[in-house]
Amino acid sequence: MAAPLLRGGEMVLELSDYMSFGSFALQAIGFYCILKKCGKKPWHAFIPIYNDYELAKCAKREKEGRIMVLVGILEAITDLVSKLIATFMPGSVWDEFFIMLRGAISICSLVYMVRIYVGLCYVFGRRRAWIWMFVIFQGFTTFLWGVSKKFMPVMAIEDEKGVEDSGIHAEEIEQGLTVNIRQRSTSEFFKKKILLRDLHLTIPKGHLVLLLGGSGAGKTTFLNAVTGYEKADATILLDGHDLYKEYESMKYDVGFVPQQDLMRANDTVLMTLEDAAAMRLPESYSRKERKKRVMEVLESFGLSMLANTLVEKLSGGQKKRLSIAMEFISDPSLFILDEPDSGLDGVVARGLFEKLRAIADSGKIVIVITHTPDRVADLFDDVIVLAKDASRTGRLAFYGDIDEAKEFFGKDSMEHVLRAVNQKEEGGEGRATEFVSRFTYEVKRKAG
Amino acid sequence: MEQNSTQVSVKHKGHVAQTGIYLGKLFRMFIFQSDWKVMPMAAVIAGLVCFVVGGNLFKTMEGTLLGTFALSCICIWNGFFNSIQVICRERPIIKREHRAGMHISSYIAAHMIYQAFLCLCQSYITLQICMIMKVSFPPVAHITPWPVADIGITLFLTTYAADMMALMVSAFVHNTTTAMTVMPFLLIFQLVFSGGFFQLEGFALKVCDFTVAKWGLTSLCAQADYNHLPMVSLWNSAFKLRNIEVNSETTEKVREALNDEVGQLDMDDEVVLEVKDLLVSEGIDLEKELNEMTAQRITELLKERGFDIEIEGKKPVWEILHYIEVNGMKEGLLLKSAEFNQNPNYEGGTDNILRCWGRLLLFIAVFSCLSVASLECIDRDKR
Repeated sequence: MAAPLLRGGEMVLELSDYMSFGSFALQAIGFYCILKKCGKKPWHAFIPIYNDYELAKCAKREKEGRIMVLVGILEAITDLVSKLIATFMPGSVWDEFFIMLRGAISICSLVYMVRIYVGLCYVFGRRRAWIWMFVIFQGFTTFLWGVSKKFMPVMAIEDEKGVEDSGIHAEEIEQGLTVNIRQRSTSEFFKKKILLRDLHLTIPKGHLVLLLGGSGAGKTTFLNAVTGYEKADATILLDGHDLYKEYESMKYDVGFVPQQDLMRANDTVLMTLEDAAAMRLPESYSRKERKKRVMEVLESFGLSMLANTLVEKLSGGQKKRLSIAMEFISDPSLFILDEPDSGLDGVVARGLFEKLRAIADSGKIVIVITHTPDRVADLFDDVIVLAKDASRTGRLAFYGDIDEAKEFFGKDSMEHVLRAVNQKEEGGEGRATEFVSRFTYEVKRKAG
Repeated sequence: MEQNSTQVSVKHKGHVAQTGIYLGKLFRMFIFQSDWKVMPMAAVIAGLVCFVVGGNLFKTMEGTLLGTFALSCICIWNGFFNSIQVICRERPIIKREHRAGMHISSYIAAHMIYQAFLCLCQSYITLQICMIMKVSFPPVAHITPWPVADIGITLFLTTYAADMMALMVSAFVHNTTTAMTVMPFLLIFQLVFSGGFFQLEGFALKVCDFTVAKWGLTSLCAQADYNHLPMVSLWNSAFKLRNIEVNSETTEKVREALNDEVGQLDMDDEVVLEVKDLLVSEGIDLEKELNEMTAQRITELLKERGFDIEIEGKKPVWEILHYIEVNGMKEGLLLKSAEFNQNPNYEGGTDNILRCWGRLLLFIAVFSCLSVASLECIDRDKR
């Protein structure tokens, strides 16, 4: 709002001042009504800066709201400093600097405001063209949207509450993996976000486990938490050893094969494996023993004939095998693979999973994420189904053997199970909360 | 391979051994991944620069400033191109290997050794090209017994410091596109704030202390004993003005020339009258304008009329330059001219050169530490 002029000691308000005030008042009333429609506390509309955050929440753009608060605070500080400089150091170079800074902040503010209004149009089921109205006639448009009953949200604003925790704790097993994840959260721009909650399970040695879940359900987060790579509020025991406490020494006993073939394309297969062996095998291994192990693994993964081939010359399946071999070289007790069959045809994928079955049979725990589970479902012992509950937190929707899973979800294939827990907007049935709730209840019942 | 019961006691490759592993990998890449191409590139750039500015390098003040600036640019260019993409292009691989037990410090140390090898080769190539192109090096050595070695060390340290800066950028950014976007800005910053070529004052001058280019340039100038080199700008400018004539005595010259041509004749003589008529017919008022015409123009007019007469105007600049040269005063004048244009930063001497080298080493240390610190956070990269 423009500052009123002082003429002859009297405050003189000009037309622009009245217009600014009018726009501000309309906007405040508009905000008040919009917040009310969204089920928020309407009086928050009168708290400067914070009201943008509340509006962003209405628009399901909470993150943008947080940034707007920061931008608003910066704007206020810049204005204050700018005025102080204009008063005490007129004509200073800092004056121009702050004018430029203020301009930059204003552009930032405008961009984030537009993003919030885009979200508001989506929530209110209106066309994006309304953004122009918001930008040009902000006060009037906000007022219109607030007071008119034609403008109402077409979807739920508040996130529903998630399923309550089971309150149980998985009993430690001596030979195998014990997972007790209470919570895995992350902080993003001053806000805590819970990614995973209440996952308790044990996997005995020799099991090949399928990890199933829609996108964003927390599969990779779960695996990273289990391997200790991204620590959670959890206790992970591998053969009785605390993986978090002994991470530095135990990380060599955990093999993680990423989804992409992350290898240097211009190195040979043999040298790639030799370097992997040098890095992952204990120092006590002699050069001869290391070489022997490399040859064994090359043989085991059918790469012997390709030893001197450059990685870039390998086919997709060969690259995948090499990537797995790099992790397998240290013979880890816990072997985790993130979509090892992506980009592979059915025959090659089947061959790969049979190899993983053989690894599990040698007394290892193998956990695999795959999006095409049915072609290899018979090879798995157990399945872990992760799903986002109503609070959009990754939860355990099922853990047990494959047949039990089909029975629990009332489906005849793993892909149908996945569809059952997926969100509706992802083409699923959106029944995740139901299954999470049922499984939690079952677990509590079994635990007595 | 049962490790489970003895988890804590199992030792894996330490920092030094891992450095060796990665060094081997990098040298393999040198062959397989065409990293060797930076060598011929360094030769081509050095050749171009020597061709353009090599003539007066280490001979005159101006030539030295221009040449050492160009040499610093070569070093910075080479250094930047060596390493700007090396880390960011394989960032996901580093993340995977870090997860599997790789020490970031070992990885960076391997890169530092490998890049030092590249920079050393490039500096050697640059020096060799300079020698082939017959660039005359300073006659006096300050640190080592050989002047060329001093220059070589400066070239190496400048290249290596730029290389480490690019390595740091490569460690900070997440992909090659960002790295290649940042690089030109860094390059321009280095060139503008080299402190030698552009007139900077106040804060901008202080910024120069934080550029690799400044210390490389300063070191090279100090080794060339910049302040005691002759300055030729004044002489060259004066030489360009040598043919300027002063025409106040042209009438007299014409008279003399005409007299020489036709013998001892008076102004009333027929030939002289003919010349006067000629000049009048050309619209020239002999009394008023002749003094304002150049001797060359009058000669041309006379030649058009068949007079084979050369009239020379008075050329005071040429006369002064001729006098200075004939009397062996030229060198003294050039040095005197240089005396008024000395730059205390470029004062020759061991202390100054060592100070420059120290700064470059400091940059190398800081950039490599920042590379390690930045890459240690690689696990936080978004999936």
